[in-house]
Amino acid sequence: MLRDITLGQYYPVDSPVHRLDPRVKILLTMAFIVCVFLVGSPLGYVPIVAYLALASHLARLPYKMMLKALRPLRILLVFTFVLNLFFGTGQTELIRVGFIRITQEGLLNAVHFSLRLIFLVTGSSILTLTTAPVTLTDGLERLASPLKIIRFPAHEMAMMMTIALRFIPTLAEEADKIMKAQSARGADFTTGSLRQRARALIPLLVPLFVSAFRRAGDLAMAMESRCYRGGEGRTRLNVLRIRRGDWLAMGSMVLLFAVVLLMKRYV
Amino acid sequence: MPITLEKVSHTYQAGSPFQATALHEIDLTIEDGELLALIGHTGSGKSTLAQHLNGLLQPTSGRVLLDGQDINRKDHNKRALRFQVGLVFQYPEYQLFEETVAKDIGFGPRNMGLSQQEVDDRVREAMDMLGLPYDEIAEKSPFELSGGQMRRVALAGVLAMRPRVLVLDEPTAGLDPRARDFLLNDVSRLHAGGTTVVMISHSMDDVARLATRVAVLAKGSLNMVGTPREVFSQVERLGAMGLDVPQASKLRWMLAKEGLALPECYLLDDLADALAAALKGGAPDAP
Ligand SMILES: Nc1ncnc2c1ncn2[C@@H]1O[C@H](COP(=O)(O)OP(=O)(O)O)[C@@H](O)[C@H]1O
Ligand SMILES: [Mg+2]
Repeated sequence: MLRDITLGQYYPVDSPVHRLDPRVKILLTMAFIVCVFLVGSPLGYVPIVAYLALASHLARLPYKMMLKALRPLRILLVFTFVLNLFFGTGQTELIRVGFIRITQEGLLNAVHFSLRLIFLVTGSSILTLTTAPVTLTDGLERLASPLKIIRFPAHEMAMMMTIALRFIPTLAEEADKIMKAQSARGADFTTGSLRQRARALIPLLVPLFVSAFRRAGDLAMAMESRCYRGGEGRTRLNVLRIRRGDWLAMGSMVLLFAVVLLMKRYV
Repeated sequence: MPITLEKVSHTYQAGSPFQATALHEIDLTIEDGELLALIGHTGSGKSTLAQHLNGLLQPTSGRVLLDGQDINRKDHNKRALRFQVGLVFQYPEYQLFEETVAKDIGFGPRNMGLSQQEVDDRVREAMDMLGLPYDEIAEKSPFELSGGQMRRVALAGVLAMRPRVLVLDEPTAGLDPRARDFLLNDVSRLHAGGTTVVMISHSMDDVARLATRVAVLAKGSLNMVGTPREVFSQVERLGAMGLDVPQASKLRWMLAKEGLALPECYLLDDLADALAAALKGGAPDAP
């Protein structure tokens, strides 16, 4: 059960989108977000939908996976929609029941802002679904490395993130095992008052922390014995390279920008 | 109180891209008072099977019966089951958490809702059974103990619930030879005292010495079940699965290939007797 969350979002298949350079994918996602914000009317989302559909098709992602990314947002979505719908300040009245009043502008805004939210989330979920977490931090490190000039510890941050990501599944597995072991001794994690349940976590948390510290010590030792001393002068096993697919992807984004801007102007 | 598995299959994370079938239609009965050894390659599903015996995992299909009752039915008391079928995980010393050894061992009995007096009695009893000196270590932190002692404290934590069936997942893994002998003697003594034991092990010599029956898992399926004699005579079949046999069985098999046939045996002492008898030219005693 715990294993389900921890593998995170990454959907491990092989596709042209999966193979893109992570730096390019991060930049493209940012560009996509800007693009979504540029859209001026619900109709303007048509090219956005087309782009998302194409990207997820190329990435061989099932639609179910992308919808799953929206689940945590469903309350916010309803909220956005309802708020815009009932508290819009437009003139053209559509319905009026007592003090409730729905205007055409309100309705349009409600649709508009909900769609914006949906596309922002699904768009960025393509990045996390198609990029393994470690590759993602690698890309982030490379993108942030110019900041080293102002003493931003890009390598150290990335290394910390990589280690954390690497150990999340391990710790989750460990937590699962300890939970089972304590259940085998009659521990009960699911019933009782909040206080009782908080207390019931002690048999889980103590061994988990002990093991996390032990692992941290082991890892530090292993890194030192292989002469790790920070990012200075370190070379890479997998050098990131911009390839043809990356150029194509960037080209497609330029195209999306052009279409969105043109539609904003003339439609 | 036999435990019966009827066509038990288990698939981890069914329906996701990570789905993995760990058990496939296992039929097996664990009889009262036996010491069943479960052997198989890493990843063959031994631990998964063990966790079905006390209801920690539920079969994806099939049933697990205790005294003829399906343990995964809603009306079956899961917690009571945990106290009857004690499961000791692999590396159980990593579950210790209390401030003192006595409190940690008392965790199970306290969860059973016993009185403080009863809990104390059971802690003493469990520590005695495993040769842990109560006066010396009961008030110590479990984290101060040696590895072998920690393992026995963890085992005591399960024994203190007085389970009728004890399931041990690789109880000797990572122990030094001395601690390992201690622990195997404990297991043997518990079994002699009437507890049903299921033991997962990679050491065929330990299995040969202790088990009354051996079950072989391969890729999630039950490949062989039988007495140690029956199973360990299949040297080649086990070898094909990447499994070892006890030293005595191996030696006997090698001698047979060289033309010296000896009666079936899997313990070194028996083999020595058989060999001595054969070399003297007389018929060997019954092994
Ligand atoms: N929590 C889990 N989630 C997914 N797969 C698992 C999990 N636990 C075990 N497995 C898989 O099930 C198979 C059997 O594992 P296990 O029962 O631990 O084998 P054994 O104890 O014989 O080494 C393995 O292929 C393993 O990768
Ligand atoms: Mg195992």
